[in-house]
Amino acid sequence: MTQTARIIVNIGADGSISAETKGMEGAHCLDSISVLEDLLEAQTVSSAFTSEYYTTATSQEGGLSHDVEQR
Amino acid sequence: MSVSLVLVPVAFAAIAAWQASRPEQAATETGVLVQHVQTRMRDEHLLTVALSDTGALVARSDDELVADWSDVRACFSRGEDGIWKVDFTGAVDAEQAASIVTAVDTAYGLQVQRTVLARLRERAPSAGMAVESEMVEADQSVTLVLTQGAR
Repeated sequence: MTQTARIIVNIGADGSISAETKGMEGAHCLDSISVLEDLLEAQTVSSAFTSEYYTTATSQEGGLSHDVEQR
Repeated sequence: MSVSLVLVPVAFAAIAAWQASRPEQAATETGVLVQHVQTRMRDEHLLTVALSDTGALVARSDDELVADWSDVRACFSRGEDGIWKVDFTGAVDAEQAASIVTAVDTAYGLQVQRTVLARLRERAPSAGMAVESEMVEADQSVTLVLTQGAR
């Protein structure tokens, strides 16, 4: 079953922003970084794959894992 | 799959964390003491609103924003990097100057939050997203869940 792609965005009272993608296939979640930057008029200062990324990536074909390692 | 991000709005200098630096004190030719503080604020409109929120009377003068409280005057001007810096004069020491900048920064942060929220609600549909839920947290941050594929 395909999981709905979601982005969870938290905007702090101090103007800080954090976001996390959920349920995106492959490295598609990386595309959302530039989309969010445009939407929010903000710059990414740090990013990290979550445990969900690695869990899903290791269960995929080798091609995707190779792609992740290259990034 | 999932990636987590920390973003800084362009209304701020691109630093993840900020604290009012200790003011640099200097004296003018006439002997008036000036407390100089670097801020992280970039947006003039949001700064003006934030200053008003702290009870300041704000006036635009050439390239400066002049904010007056009861016995303190602050002259904001942009550095070469576009970030506002501020000179305090009046009944203010270094500690008070840092305290005022922190208060203005807090008010500015609230304005940035409102602006970013409004922008996100307005632009999400054109980016193929829908706001599925929105919740105010205990720390007054706001969490939105966006779903993709809503174009």
